[in-house]
Order: sequence, then structure tokens, then C-alpha cells
Amino acid sequence: MIKIVNLNKIFNENTKKEFQALKDITFEIEDFSCVILKGISGSGKSTLLSILGALSKPSSGKVLIDNENIAKLPDLHASSFRAKKLGFIFQSYNLFNELSVKDNISLALIPLGFSQKQIDEKVEKAIALANISHKKDEIVYNLSGGEKQRCAIARALANDAQIILCDEPTANLDYDNSIKFIEVLKELKKLNKTIIVATHDPIFDNLDFVDKTINIKNGMICE
Amino acid sequence: MKNNVFFNFLFLLLTKHKSKHIAIFIISTLIVFLISCVMFISSSLQKEIYSTLDSQSDFVIQKMNAGKSVDTPISWIDDFNQINGVTNVQQRVYGKYYFEFANVSFTIVGIDLFEENANKDLKKLLNILDISEFLTKDSMIIGDGVKKIFDKYHYSNEFSFRTVNQEIKKVSIFKNLPKEFNLVANDLIIMDINLAKEILNIKDEESTDIVLNVPNDLERANVKIELILKHSNTRIIQKEDIKKAYENMFNYKGGIFLVLFIIVLVTFILILFQRYSMINSSDKKEIGILKAVGWSIKDIIKLKITETFIIGFLAFILGIILAFIFVFILNAPILSNIFLGFQNLQNDVSFIPNIEFSTIFMLFLFFMIPFLSAVLIPVWKIAVLDANESMK
Repeated sequence: MIKIVNLNKIFNENTKKEFQALKDITFEIEDFSCVILKGISGSGKSTLLSILGALSKPSSGKVLIDNENIAKLPDLHASSFRAKKLGFIFQSYNLFNELSVKDNISLALIPLGFSQKQIDEKVEKAIALANISHKKDEIVYNLSGGEKQRCAIARALANDAQIILCDEPTANLDYDNSIKFIEVLKELKKLNKTIIVATHDPIFDNLDFVDKTINIKNGMICE
Repeated sequence: MKNNVFFNFLFLLLTKHKSKHIAIFIISTLIVFLISCVMFISSSLQKEIYSTLDSQSDFVIQKMNAGKSVDTPISWIDDFNQINGVTNVQQRVYGKYYFEFANVSFTIVGIDLFEENANKDLKKLLNILDISEFLTKDSMIIGDGVKKIFDKYHYSNEFSFRTVNQEIKKVSIFKNLPKEFNLVANDLIIMDINLAKEILNIKDEESTDIVLNVPNDLERANVKIELILKHSNTRIIQKEDIKKAYENMFNYKGGIFLVLFIIVLVTFILILFQRYSMINSSDKKEIGILKAVGWSIKDIIKLKITETFIIGFLAFILGIILAFIFVFILNAPILSNIFLGFQNLQNDVSFIPNIEFSTIFMLFLFFMIPFLSAVLIPVWKIAVLDANESMK
């Protein structure tokens, strides 16, 4: 269970450039559900996602994941939390273009202290799930947008993450690849993953496997 | 984090990002190479000159006349022998001989081959040659630089010296000194003391100077006073004075290079610091991605520091090896002239390795600590940023 309580995020606090990105956000996400955070660019959905992923800290409020408040975790614990429980899929994939698919996926497993053999096994499993096995030794730079996205999915799955966070995952994909991505999300839900997608893409509207859509406008939840 | 997996990834990153590191690697290698060359030459020369100095006499006494040094009467030898604590009092004969066709000067040294206590250094040089035939006629032993000049002007068997009376004195070339003595004997012509006196126009009862030893260090100050009391019109040069003069010369030249090295190093570190401070978006993104997939700040700093250390260490090792080859195998072209001075005779000097581990280690610390610091601070600054910010 993920509980967000009175979450606020203020950038450049106490300066002339002060900007409140999130205002008193409170909601809950059940385990193994798929939630869409919907809103236009600048609405605050990506900021909310990064706080959920312990990539940035809120100005106030709580983010409880399995009753642990991750909002105030020191870096060492926050990174360990990300490594063990989270998988990220980004709009611009955020892969190392010079490395192969396999190496990109491996680097998410390095902080977990696995042996090279264990890493290789987990990578094989993840690339099979993301249907990118045929490109495992290919340098990411040479991949198409859809293939890069599948590589990013494989990386998010490699650590057997409980929660998958997707930030505008279809923004750089064409329609066909977006549909394929949605199919992957459906499969992930079947694997009992909690999926949170921040997007403004209408392709996510009225999907049967989506449990909740949260609309965000000007940093606030609107019904 | 398992170390072998971490290093696998690190080496993978290093090989994939080689174009990013190549400039830093080349500049680092060059800096280490230059400073190592200076250190190798300096320590080699110092060792050579100090070992030469060690075999020199403790005191050199020259007669002075109206502020100029003139030939010293050999009768003074008996006077100095009377001083308590003094041993091995000998005359020395040497002087410059100008060869106008080549516009160079040779150093003629006359030695008394029957003198038991002849200069140890010259003995050392002569011991490697068969000198039984040396005294049968007017002969000389010549240094490598002299030989080259003689060859150039076709004096292959003998050379004609011109005395002060404009008479020609033919002296046959007995042997050449080996190249390894070039540092001390490149322009040297060694001959019998009486022949040297004749060519250098020194009277039989005079010498260039007189040398003596005082084995007891504590006695040297007293002996100096005694020497002045015996003959006041003298200049007394102690071995310590010569040593100090050499030290000053090396400290001066070495100091200039050290200052240059510090300037270059500081500039380089500033560039490096600047490069990592104004880290480009791809470097920033790299750190952001690593954070997003669970790498801690500590892991990222470890990665970057190890990456930088490997580049620095390889550059250091390569710089040292190149400097070794340049100085001890190629004999440091150009740089050797800066240290030896542009001598009147071309000197193909060979440097003998005299490398101390402590010096190499000091250089390593001197280079590595600022090198790593220049990377550590900016990387830490980026690593503590929100990953989201870094990935934008």
C-alpha cells in the first residue's frame, strides 16, 4: 500500500523564484493496482512521481510505502529502497547509449550485491519478459525508439521491483509502439506489480486494467 | 556492492568512454613525463657529480697576485706538509687550450704518474687503460668530445699543440676515454705533468694549484688558518664550498622546473575542476540514471574516483616509463643541455639511473591528490542533486 499524506513540494523556497509544484496532495494506491497520474505539462505529475520514487524530497508531508515514510530517507537508504523496490521507465528512456542492452540492465543490479552469474541470470529473465532478447548485445545507440523503451522496461523489471514508475512512457513512441507498451503494462499487472504512470497521453484513457486515474492540475488533485 | 561486478562495469565504462578521457590522459602523461625527466636528470647528475667530488681533495690552494690567480710555486708543498693534520699535499696542473679552427677549448690535465697519491678520479680513468707504453713518448689520453673534434680535423694519430713560444709540439693520441666518462671528461686531455706544463706554459717549479687533504673534519678550520699564516696571498677553496656551489646550481635549475611544474599542474587541475564543475549534460544525466536505478551517492563517487584514479595511475606509470626511456636510453636530448649548459664541445653524456622510490612516491602523491580532488568535489556536488534535475 502506498499512502501519500499532505504532500507539498516548493522549489526555490524563500526566494523570489519560489514555486509550489505540489499542494496538499493526499491519496492512496492499493498494492498490485495500476494508477494513472494525468495532467498537462507542468501540472506537477512528474514531480509527484519523482517523490514517490525517492528521487527528490518533498517540502512537507509523508510518502508511506509499506508503512515506511520514504520522504525523509537519507541517501543511502533511499538508494537502497530504489534499488530493491522500484523500477523506473522514463520518457527519454535514460539509458547509456554507448553500452549494450545487457550492460544497461546489469547496472541496475550492481548495487544489490549480486554475483556476476546472478546478474546474468536476472538480465536474461528481464530481457525475455520485455521481449528484447534478440537485441541483448546490441549497443543502445543503434536501437529504435520502441526497442529502447523495451530495454528500459527490462531494466525496470530486472530487480524484480514491486513498484513500476513510468514518466510519460509513450511520449517518444508512435501509436503502434504505444499500444505495444500498454500491452506490456497489462502483462506487468498480471505479474502483481504496482504500476504508476504519469502521462498526458489520451491513449491511457479508459483502459480496462487501470484501477484509478488521478487528475492533477496546478499541483493539486482535481476530481 | 560486489567489487568484481563493480570493476567489470567500471572497465566497461572506461573503454566505452575512452574518447572522453583521452585528453586528460595525454595531458597527465605529459606532465608526469616532464617532471620525471627533470627529476631523473637532476638526480643522476647530482649523484655523478657528488661521487666525483667525494674523490676530490679537501683543500685547493691557489696563489693570488693583484686579485688574480697565478701559478703556484711547488715549494709551497713542503710548507704545507709542515702543518699538523695535513696529508697528500700535491701539485695540480691543468688549463684550457684554445683550438681556434674549431673555436673550442680543451681542458689539459697533467698528471704525475709516479705520484702515489695522484688524483683518484684520474687514476680511476687510467686504471682501465694499459699505461705501460704511455710514457715512452709524448702521448695523451683524450675525452670523447676531443676525439670528435680531432677526427673532424683529421688528427687521427697525433695533434700539434702550439706553445707560448709559437713552437709546435706534437703529441700522439694514446687512447680515447670511454663514453661513460663523458660527464666529467668530455673535453679532457690527459698527459704527463711535465708535458702539460710545457704546453700550458707553466714553469717547472710551479703548478696550477696545490691540493691537500685534512682527514679530521674538526681540524679543517684550524688548518685553513694555518694555510693563510704560511702564505697570505692565497685563495683557499674547500670541498664543501664546491659542493655548495653545485647544490645551489641544481637547486636553482631544479627550482625553476619545480615552479614550472607547479604552474602547469595547478593550471591542469583548474581545467579539470572546471571540466567537472561545468559537467556537460551527458555526464550529469549519467549520474542521474545511476541514482535512479539505485546507486547511492557513495557508489557514484566511488565509481568516478576509481575511474579518475585509473586514468591518473595509468598516465603516471606511462609518464614515468617514457621519462626513463627518454633520459636513460635516449640520453635526454635538449633537456640535458639545459642542465649541463651548452658546452663548447658537444657532449654525448650518458645518464646513469639513480631513482629513489621515495621520490617517485612523493611525485605520485603530488600529482594524484590534487588530481582526484579536482574530480571529487564537482562530482559530489552533482551526485547530491535531485536525480530528476540531473537527468533533464
